[in-house]
Amino acid sequence: MTEISKFRSLGRSNRRQFLAGATALGVGATVLGAPRIARAAGDVKVLNWQGYGTDEAWSVDAFHKATGNTVTHDYYNSESEMITKMRTNPGGYDVVVTNCAWNNIASKEGLIQPLDPAKIPHWADLNPAFRDSPLLNDGGKPFGAAWVWGITAIAYSTDVFKESPATLATLWDPKLKKRVALRDDGIEAVSFGAIATGQDMNHPADLAKVKAKLLELKSNVALLWSSEDEWNKQFAAKAFDISVYWSGSALRSKTQFKLPVGYYVPKEGGIGWFDGLAVVKDSPNPDGAHAFINWMIDPKFYVEWATKVGAPASANPKAMEALPDSDPSKSFYSDQEAIKRLQFMAPLSDKEKQDYSDLWAEVKTAFAG
Amino acid sequence: MSPRQRQKWAIFGLTGPAYAWLAVTIFLPLSAMLYCSVLDVSPLVPRPASFTLANYAAFFQKSFYLPLTWWSILLGFWTTLFCFLVGYPAAYALAKRVKGRWREALFLLIVLPFWSNALVRIFSWTMVLRQGGFLDMALHSVFPDAPAFNLLFTYPAVVIGLVHSYLPYMILTCYVSLQAIDDSLMEAARSLGAENTTVFRRVVFPLSLPGVISGAVLIFVPVIGSFMEPRILGGAKGATLGMNIEEQFTVTANWPLGAALSFTMLAIVLVIFAVLYPILKRRGVWA
Amino acid sequence: MKRKLDIGGGIAKTYLALVLLFLYVPILVMALLAFNRSPLYQMPFEFDLVWFKALAENDRLLNAGWNSVVIALVNTVVATVLGTAAALAFSRYQFRGRQVMQLLLLPPITIPWLVIGTAMLVFFYWTFPLMGLRPRGLHAILLGHVALSLPYVIIVVGARLADFPKAVEEAAATLGATPWQTFWRVSAPIIAPGVVAAALFAFATSFDQFVISYFLAPPGVTTLPVEIYTSIRKGFTPEINAISTIIIAVSMGVMLITARFYKFGGER
Repeated sequence: MTEISKFRSLGRSNRRQFLAGATALGVGATVLGAPRIARAAGDVKVLNWQGYGTDEAWSVDAFHKATGNTVTHDYYNSESEMITKMRTNPGGYDVVVTNCAWNNIASKEGLIQPLDPAKIPHWADLNPAFRDSPLLNDGGKPFGAAWVWGITAIAYSTDVFKESPATLATLWDPKLKKRVALRDDGIEAVSFGAIATGQDMNHPADLAKVKAKLLELKSNVALLWSSEDEWNKQFAAKAFDISVYWSGSALRSKTQFKLPVGYYVPKEGGIGWFDGLAVVKDSPNPDGAHAFINWMIDPKFYVEWATKVGAPASANPKAMEALPDSDPSKSFYSDQEAIKRLQFMAPLSDKEKQDYSDLWAEVKTAFAG
Repeated sequence: MSPRQRQKWAIFGLTGPAYAWLAVTIFLPLSAMLYCSVLDVSPLVPRPASFTLANYAAFFQKSFYLPLTWWSILLGFWTTLFCFLVGYPAAYALAKRVKGRWREALFLLIVLPFWSNALVRIFSWTMVLRQGGFLDMALHSVFPDAPAFNLLFTYPAVVIGLVHSYLPYMILTCYVSLQAIDDSLMEAARSLGAENTTVFRRVVFPLSLPGVISGAVLIFVPVIGSFMEPRILGGAKGATLGMNIEEQFTVTANWPLGAALSFTMLAIVLVIFAVLYPILKRRGVWA
Repeated sequence: MKRKLDIGGGIAKTYLALVLLFLYVPILVMALLAFNRSPLYQMPFEFDLVWFKALAENDRLLNAGWNSVVIALVNTVVATVLGTAAALAFSRYQFRGRQVMQLLLLPPITIPWLVIGTAMLVFFYWTFPLMGLRPRGLHAILLGHVALSLPYVIIVVGARLADFPKAVEEAAATLGATPWQTFWRVSAPIIAPGVVAAALFAFATSFDQFVISYFLAPPGVTTLPVEIYTSIRKGFTPEINAISTIIIAVSMGVMLITARFYKFGGER
């Protein structure tokens, strides 16, 4: 890969994370008045982020050859758009990629149907921590096949810190005046505030405590970033020394851009997320959907995706083992102790979302004042 | 057809298309947004909505909206003030002190930055203002011992970027009204014994005031709604009402709240104009 | 007196040079970094044309640039024609509602773009699907740009028409010219500079308009400013600098050519 095409591929492999908080504007254009297209049997319609694994042309071709199913796509730009699309287009999709914080929401609303593990031969190989998580199961039935996962924790400059700071409390270190960066995202900020105050990350009982803790960061915070690219540029320009960051991005900063980046899951805890592949309710082609899900969690697909394009960690341990030893993510994601410290993103109510967003707006206002 | 009727049709034919266009794109959308701002459910959610004033109440109930609004207004004020302080002398120099080919060339050079992308210019400022950036390097090449210099992610950085973006407006509007002032008028004042400063204060400046005002309006209004420049240049120090409104439309998908906030911002702009209007009218600026 | 004025001229030119320096610093930096190798904009400077080569293959950015040019051109034509027509009506005829109509030109100028852009989004979202149109897209962006340009065109052309020597037209009419001939042979050449200035303004308004396009552009269909903003938020390379450098170079050329035909500074 040339330097540039590598750089561009950022936009692909990391699309999920970029877009996790991105525009909800796209709903209108596509949802309204989109005519339902009559589809041939043997067609698998996938609803996902654009450029996020399922739509790789080489894989779609191989899948067609192997199973006779044609894969087509529709994309969403935010998780709320994903829900809206399924609501307004019943029978329009077969497979949907749902984040762990959204799978329960979709199953409770009856938008997705229980999976039949018997039709997914690789099912048994999946990491039980993800596969059997309540976030992908509802009423004792599995509603999503764990696909890929990642961590949101702390990245630091190895030029400044001679060894890993190891704690989340370091962000509050008075010596780090104007050297800390956070992501401009209300839910993530509240999550870290909750972890720092020893509370449940998703539903902290004492929001006032979270707010007070975040406000204490005021003199340390230099920058609120919103993308991996921005993070890399500012880090390269030494605009900050330590920051909340995504695991996959930290790995890329280190390996592709040769930035002096270290990464750790604080002893207080970190944020974990995983994506599940689900079969949509009233799917016209449930067998094709199951076959496609099995294809996606197959180590063969994962290794090709990870090495050709770049991918988050697989939820199938056999797929991780199949990675070449030279692949840095193989060792990167192998620290079982760190994984135990993660809390996973769970569904939030509309009220919680609004409350977190307001809290973050208030904290940002205080930062700027 | 009587001449009177014909004239009616001519007026209708000439103005109709332009105003129909404005109706569809400005006036009807504003009405639609007013309607949207009193709904309790976003149009994106397939659930019946009912009317509420909660979105307007939120502006006063949530503690952060008032400071955000105040900062937006201050940002507009500082940007307009500095545009005036820098731009007016430039317009004066251009209109009254430079002639012929020079004037034309300088004029073109001032207008030209409009043709480059505003966002790229703003991003370029980050390269100039940051530690190790171009300004820092220039400073250290002259004073090697100067302390490290970093303006990026500060309030002044946002103002610098905004002044840069909007300065040409001020220069243009002031230039137009300054150029219209007849030189013989100034000569006459001088020959009547007025000092240069008096001529400026009593004759030139009052006559150029309409240009200053229109420049100020053209700058103040968009700056109050700015969200892109504060975000890129201000870092954690850039927070405006505009940024929060934009987030209601793009991140939280709460259109009714965003619409209510937009209208609140509009109301604030109108209040400011209403307060200024009598002053300007008295001075004969608002013809 | 003469000497004093010359000193004043010197100070004036120095001051203007400083203002120009301020205006051009970011533009020079932008151009410089288009030729710098580092994708993360790191110094020291290493000359390389790699970003121009990359740009030539970057369909996304080129498409966005092309969309911007097309929209700006169509916007210029539509806004100039509609605006000039309205300005003619205002200067020719006294009629009831004229003042109100002129006052109605103020909202598009005095309402923050953010407010207008979001209002259009809400309105188009509700009404366009009823007509089988998508609420967002290039058609919506064009509608919005023309709305922004129209008031400026009407005001600029109107200013030119205010100085219009009516006697000339009357003379032409007395000499037997038809209204059509009068317009094309007599009036048009006189108001042409105003129309050209208005057209340039309309083009610039549209070409650099970001806020309104941002709210009206669906995913995947963008104009250059929107694409650049998205890139700045999500990830970009000096290809952005490369395309911006090309644009400003082209604009400079266009300005110089136009300047040969029209005096912008105004002669006195």
